[in-house]
Amino acid sequence: MVRRFIHTVAAALLLLLPARAFAGHLSEPLDSLENVNIERIEVRGRRLMRDIGLQHSRLDTTALHDNISLSMGDILMQNANTFIKSYGRGTMATVSMRGTAPSHTQVTWNGMPLNSPMLGMVDFSLIPSYFVDEAGLYRGASSVGIASGGLGGAVTLENRPAQARGPELRFVQGVGSYMTFDEFLRFGYSGERWSTSTRVMYSRSRNDFQYTNYSKLPELEFDDAGNLTGRRYPTERNRNGDYSDLHILQELYFNTRAGDRFGLAAWYVLSSRGVPKLSTDYRDDSHTRAQQDESTLRAVASWDRIVSSVGIGAKAGYAYTDMLYRYMYDLTGTGENMVDGIRSQSYAHTAFAQAEAEYSWHDRLMASARVTANQHFVVSRDESVYGNAGEERIVGYRQARFELSTLASLRYAPIERVGLAASVRWDVYGVKCTPVVPAFFADFVLWPRLNLKLKASITRNFRYPTLNDLYFQPGGNPDLRPERGFTYDGGLSFEITAAGKRVRITGEVSAYDSYIDDWILWRPTFKGFWTPLNIRRVHAYGVESSLGLSADLGRGWQLSLNGMFSMTRSLNQGDAVTENDVSYGMQLPYIPVFTSSAVGRIEWRGWAFIYKWRYYSERYTTSSNDLTVTGVIAPYFMSDISLEKRFSWRWGRLSLRADVNNLFGEEYETVLSHPMPGRNFGFSVGISPDFGRCCRRGR
Amino acid sequence: MLSGRRFILPLFALLLSGCIDYGMPELEPFDRSGSDGVFILNEGNFMYGNASLSYYDIDRDECLNDIFYRANGARLGDVAQSMTIRGETGYVVVNNSGVIYAVDISTFAVKSVIRGLVSPRYIHFVDDGRAYVTDLYSGKIAVVDMSDGSISGHIDTGGHASTERMAQSGHLVFVCCWSYDDSVLAVDTESDSVVGEIRVGRQPNSIVSDRDGNIWCLCDGGTSADAVGSLWRIDPSTLQAEMAHVFGVGDAPSELCTDAGGDFLYFLNRAVWRVAVGDAFGHFPAEPLIPDIGTMYYGLGVDPQSGDIYVADAVDYVQEGTVYRYSASGVELARFRTGINPGAFCFKHVE
Repeated sequence: MVRRFIHTVAAALLLLLPARAFAGHLSEPLDSLENVNIERIEVRGRRLMRDIGLQHSRLDTTALHDNISLSMGDILMQNANTFIKSYGRGTMATVSMRGTAPSHTQVTWNGMPLNSPMLGMVDFSLIPSYFVDEAGLYRGASSVGIASGGLGGAVTLENRPAQARGPELRFVQGVGSYMTFDEFLRFGYSGERWSTSTRVMYSRSRNDFQYTNYSKLPELEFDDAGNLTGRRYPTERNRNGDYSDLHILQELYFNTRAGDRFGLAAWYVLSSRGVPKLSTDYRDDSHTRAQQDESTLRAVASWDRIVSSVGIGAKAGYAYTDMLYRYMYDLTGTGENMVDGIRSQSYAHTAFAQAEAEYSWHDRLMASARVTANQHFVVSRDESVYGNAGEERIVGYRQARFELSTLASLRYAPIERVGLAASVRWDVYGVKCTPVVPAFFADFVLWPRLNLKLKASITRNFRYPTLNDLYFQPGGNPDLRPERGFTYDGGLSFEITAAGKRVRITGEVSAYDSYIDDWILWRPTFKGFWTPLNIRRVHAYGVESSLGLSADLGRGWQLSLNGMFSMTRSLNQGDAVTENDVSYGMQLPYIPVFTSSAVGRIEWRGWAFIYKWRYYSERYTTSSNDLTVTGVIAPYFMSDISLEKRFSWRWGRLSLRADVNNLFGEEYETVLSHPMPGRNFGFSVGISPDFGRCCRRGR
Repeated sequence: MLSGRRFILPLFALLLSGCIDYGMPELEPFDRSGSDGVFILNEGNFMYGNASLSYYDIDRDECLNDIFYRANGARLGDVAQSMTIRGETGYVVVNNSGVIYAVDISTFAVKSVIRGLVSPRYIHFVDDGRAYVTDLYSGKIAVVDMSDGSISGHIDTGGHASTERMAQSGHLVFVCCWSYDDSVLAVDTESDSVVGEIRVGRQPNSIVSDRDGNIWCLCDGGTSADAVGSLWRIDPSTLQAEMAHVFGVGDAPSELCTDAGGDFLYFLNRAVWRVAVGDAFGHFPAEPLIPDIGTMYYGLGVDPQSGDIYVADAVDYVQEGTVYRYSASGVELARFRTGINPGAFCFKHVE
């Protein structure tokens, strides 16, 4: 049964070319500076075979390029049913999905894994949202098709070639509170077959916001007569939180007339960040300082080809990361004679290769296979260890590991309203391998008129230990087993259009139930250092929902509202560690039970007003959920507003934007003893010259 | 319509505004001046800032948790390392906050603060006006002028990266150099300088003096797979060390203590062990005093007056720990929950 849908040109092509990797280059980027009116056409659409049963959502450039000052961590915090554990702007931000750990979220960039082979996680604060053109979130079993080890889910980050032909130039300058400056430049050229793009982003900030320090001793207040009248917590500034990040992204694309597509993307990061002092730290900045410096290069080349019903593709990439953590001190207290107390250095090289193929029969049956290989070389060492004669000694490890992951999938739509899919994944790491990971997906269109669809999926999954888990000195445990996951979920989604298709309402609700055994947890030993062990058993279950509304209100008014809500119970069900262990059945630390967010946007003749709201319920910091002063981090509501005006002239376009973040000056923490900024402001200017491209976008 | 407004307006206000009510807590006026007790330093988790101070009232068999916050309205800080009582004042060393609090041992109220330290670990009083503070990173021992809490100088350790626990014999203070080291320094308290360096086992972590004025030092052996711990005796007059006992591979002894008379040595090595000073050479006990019952023993203290043994179970290190109180013969007398990672004890006795 064939239904009528309204799609963009890109979506129509997607239907004709089911391979997402190949169709991805054709998707249409939109951004807040440059909204493009696309002529609507009506096409006869069938289901996307690739999406059968998936619990996933996409973020396009409208969300991703909303604000120059936002990292991917900020974007996901606002636009996805995930929990972001952020230590503040310019410091680490990790993503937790469905009540799991950050290392259970697998992240890819143009198909190449971003997760550190040493730590297993990704710092999303080091990914500027302006460097991503499309992001996808795959929850639970849906991650099996993306990468192995996504016990919570997976995030895909993609770059796309510019659709506009001819030269392109865009510059955005942002200025914000606490001496924060962001500059973004993109320039490139797109021809019929060639396309090149260069993006440069530079962000720096003193990041010394003021806050009331509720952790330290209150100051005494006296009246004129010297009588004690009260106590007041000290007002302090965020110390040592300065940062400076440079990102450069070079893209090159080439299409042959024979159906081949070549792509190359290279991304360089140079970051220097202070590690903010805790609110409980009494030391002066000139006395101690911690700093983390990182330089990373990632490059991936791709080729794909579509011939009739067959799609094939290959990727090759390389990633290098050099990370240095230093804890420095100066006994003189002047800050001019800093010496290293800790100097921890790590290097990681990763070579990456991937090949994939897809074949479709009659639009109802599709088979695909993918093989991914990674070769890691890592060095981790503490260079600040001294012997009894003051001689320097190095403690650390040097390891290499080969990883191979194979995936085979079959998707079948026996009738138009029913889709079935099965995948099998199998991984090799080093000289070990994981058991086979099977995953099954199904969906059923209950009510075609509303596109009301019922989805379900089930899988078991594994995540093998990171190199630090196995080899870190001291403490690495080479006897670790892979973590084992089992998850199933089900949900409903719908899409309604009304008022002559001027109003569109979408919604989704899903419930999941997951079990993770042999969860790897680092714990101190009686020897005094930490070691990872397969000790935790977790039962996570919950509900995720989203609702979206977009409406053309007439007379130039456009309204969009998007809201999300999730409930996450992530409970420890491991055996008691000792007879005094009371953590059984308790919520895992730093997993909020409730999260919610909403974004409202109203536009009129180039003006746009945006309101963002989000909520995190309380988070426990202890495994036993103790209700002590430091055992609970208070819940908070956050509100941000923005006002934007876009101008369009013959010579180009100009946008002006003002932001007020933390509108109500909320005092809050997302991580214990790490205060967050109060009300703060930002202003940005975007300029995009028009080089007289009369044939833009095919017009 | 009116009822709708009643519902919608508060809801709207709730959604838009914050709900956190930070503010000054009601400070509690403690007075434990007449009772014997034990301060328990709950180390907390590194970089969490969740250390806390507990007080076990021995007479009432009652444990008061979070007393620093309740008495002062402030958190104790990040990694509470040690505590030493001098007169009516307890000095609480908070390692990763870089601070030492001087608190009234009866009211728990802060009297003064010592700052200017890099990563302080232990404080040792040389006399009423002077104290030494060891440091995990700085490689120097700070000398504190107790009249105003200022750092009056530093003792150079000759290239050693870290200094740890201290014990005094006569005019010499013996200092463990723990992290990746194998030395004990002898510091002359008259000149505030290192006058001797004694090579012992790998990573000396704790040190005490016995009934005869000898110094005993316990080494954990380090972190390598084949590491072995060891117990050493140092003669303070000759600065010569003798190895009394070698532990097995996989052992990691720590938390060396003595009883009030200095007749017995106590330490942790999975279980709680006790050895008479005279038996340390060649007559080491085959069985522990208090066996390992699946607990994660993290802290150990011996009451200098009663001889009772206090040992802390850190459980999984991210929940409130439990402290066991045993008699000197190893009979359990009490157990109570404290804060996160109880790691050190400090005993208060009414004169």
